[in-house]
Amino acid sequence: MKRKLPYILSIIALIALSGASPVHAAKISVVTTLTDLADFTRAVGGDLVEVHSLATGVEDTHGVPMKPSFVPIMNKADLLVLVGLDCEHAFLPALMEACKNPRIQKGTPGYVDCSKGIVPLDVPKSTEHSEGDVHPYGNPHYMLDPVLAKTAIGNIYNALVAFAPQHQGEFARNRDAYVAELDAKIVEWEKEMKPLKGVKFVSYHEHWPYFAARFGMDYFGTIELKPGIDPTARHIEELIASMKAEHVPLVVREPQFPEKVPRRIAEATGAVLVTLPIMPGGVPHTETYIKMMDYIVHTMVSALQGRK
Amino acid sequence: MKTVIALITLFLFASIPTGLFAQTVEERLNALEKVLKEQEKTIKEQQKVIEDLLAEVKELQPPVQGAAAAKEPAVTQQVQEQVQELKEKVDQVAEAQTRTVPSVFNPAVGLVGETVFSYRSKGSDETGSDRPGGFDAFQRSVELNLSASVDPFAKGYAVINASADPKTGEANATVEEAAIQTTSLPWNLEVKAGRFFGEFGRLSYIHDHELPFVNRPLALEEYVGGESRTDGVQVNYLVPIPHYVSLTVGAGNQFGGDVPPNDVGTFRQGSNVNYWGRLSSFFDITPDISFEPGISGLWNPATTDLGGGLPQPDGSTFFERERRLAGADFMLSYKPLRNNQFQTVTWGTEVLYSDNRYNVDEPAGAILNRAVGSTGLYSYLAYKFDRQWTVGFLYDFVESPENNRAKTSAYSPYITWALSHWDQLRLQYTYTNPNVATGFKPDNAVYLQWAWIIGAHSHGWQER
Repeated sequence: MKRKLPYILSIIALIALSGASPVHAAKISVVTTLTDLADFTRAVGGDLVEVHSLATGVEDTHGVPMKPSFVPIMNKADLLVLVGLDCEHAFLPALMEACKNPRIQKGTPGYVDCSKGIVPLDVPKSTEHSEGDVHPYGNPHYMLDPVLAKTAIGNIYNALVAFAPQHQGEFARNRDAYVAELDAKIVEWEKEMKPLKGVKFVSYHEHWPYFAARFGMDYFGTIELKPGIDPTARHIEELIASMKAEHVPLVVREPQFPEKVPRRIAEATGAVLVTLPIMPGGVPHTETYIKMMDYIVHTMVSALQGRK
Repeated sequence: MKTVIALITLFLFASIPTGLFAQTVEERLNALEKVLKEQEKTIKEQQKVIEDLLAEVKELQPPVQGAAAAKEPAVTQQVQEQVQELKEKVDQVAEAQTRTVPSVFNPAVGLVGETVFSYRSKGSDETGSDRPGGFDAFQRSVELNLSASVDPFAKGYAVINASADPKTGEANATVEEAAIQTTSLPWNLEVKAGRFFGEFGRLSYIHDHELPFVNRPLALEEYVGGESRTDGVQVNYLVPIPHYVSLTVGAGNQFGGDVPPNDVGTFRQGSNVNYWGRLSSFFDITPDISFEPGISGLWNPATTDLGGGLPQPDGSTFFERERRLAGADFMLSYKPLRNNQFQTVTWGTEVLYSDNRYNVDEPAGAILNRAVGSTGLYSYLAYKFDRQWTVGFLYDFVESPENNRAKTSAYSPYITWALSHWDQLRLQYTYTNPNVATGFKPDNAVYLQWAWIIGAHSHGWQER
């Protein structure tokens, strides 16, 4: 046994040291919480990054399952890219604690909060739970405004440059090319959405205030009673009555919410029901951010054109 | 002494300006008058320079005509006032930012309340319960949760529970947990020290109100002693491989329901301490289906007499000499990625094997050593069919750790209505069926549990 002891200790030391100084692969390892951030990181980082998104796209932005299989991936990450504004409060803090990676903890350069530079909408005056599961820093769904998405892209670019300054030129070229493509699409989307200016709509969850502000739509209300709280029968009745009175023509259902109640409301009010993704991959043929925005714009426009 | 006085005198003389003796008063006045005249001349020259510069500025400015010319000073003054006002406001904000407010250092605070209303068909003398038979209302817990970062290297938290005493009904505040936990250790390590729930099994380190059913499973009550509370230290290691494997080991004064080995005056050996460990992993079978297995062990090499005598129905008395407990658990979950907030199926099972060693005082006076191997398990299936509604069924089985012929099983269907994250009602029926060897009788019970949370509430790792 005594002879074997040095070997056993060597093996233990090797296992321990393999965790102590993680060998960085040639590529920068980036973990993003949501798929839009993964898309942006791939666009800016190009071949220099390896991106893993915790969400696949079909989940609710607040309801990504807290899977232990995420932990080893986060443990080796160089950068963690998140939406911020408390969007990931239901799953990210516990995962960050479990992953034991000091490089991506809050306050470090590896913690990339994409909301930096965003002026949030709907900042609550109170965080009382009587107002539901409110986000204390304001509505976090700014990514559905493609102009604000450019702020997130800028934050990702800055983080990549800070991590690997030797690749600044390539990151800048990639970013500029992607932003140029996005700018051209924004012009296109604004043109397409022009007929929808002032059009009122409701959605299941409060995902759409930034989108509505960008395209001049009137965000009438939500099917949820309060953020994170299912609608009561009275709330549904009141919503139907007010939608009828105000001639609200559109009901948006995010695919992770059940269809039954939105359909009932649409039928009762004569509004059109559309199912729209809130991040890339939420519905088929929306694998990238641009494809997702294309899908949202085309679906909304054609739904209301069909109604006319 | 004389030398010192001489030196001081010399110093004082040296300090007096020599000019005082050289100039008369009249000469000094003349000199001052000359300096003043030179300064007056300089000031006049500077005034002229300023006037010339102002004239140049006036020439460079575009001509302002009519009423606008008259208005300009007023507008300029107004703008200046607004700028001044804005500056004052900004200064106030900046000052407020830098001011130290004691409350900003307060930790996150949350309060959990849990009331259990129940009806049991038998009295506690026939069921062994610590609650009475018939109708009962029990404020099981009022938990104050505090947590905050200690510094860049650790966080601290405390759970203070003021639950009602089962016998007197008086609320007794006890510190359930108060621990420090590292947050930035290298080598994938994390250390926790203080009073905390040690990581053993799947549900023993979860607080009552977080359980998926009303009561803690019988096997955990019997073998662990309820919640796995300990005063000690625990180290967690995330094995640095691409697959999730977590290893935890710990040592503590007590664990769960046992009595801490801190008799005053005795010298405590390392063998009097509880040691435990847990190894767990996780497998994604499909993106929607996962399997999470774990194994645990608990050992106290020398617990002799610490828990006091345990009288047995045959007249003998057991004294625990060594505590040995092993467990295996798994959780198989179906959580569809798309709508996991509205639909999930969970099957959780934990099997425990107790192999305690006892000294037995026989009625005849003989003292024997005895090892008692006993088994317990619980298994539950929960189906969440709506964001607010979950139905489930719990099966319990346990053999007494002192007498493995004394067996009890229980069957508990339940339904949970979660109005929100912070407000939950649960209705549960439990049929408990002990065998004759236990000395207890079958019992029917209905529970209505109402749990609520105010203030800060985090989604902990164990709630996944």
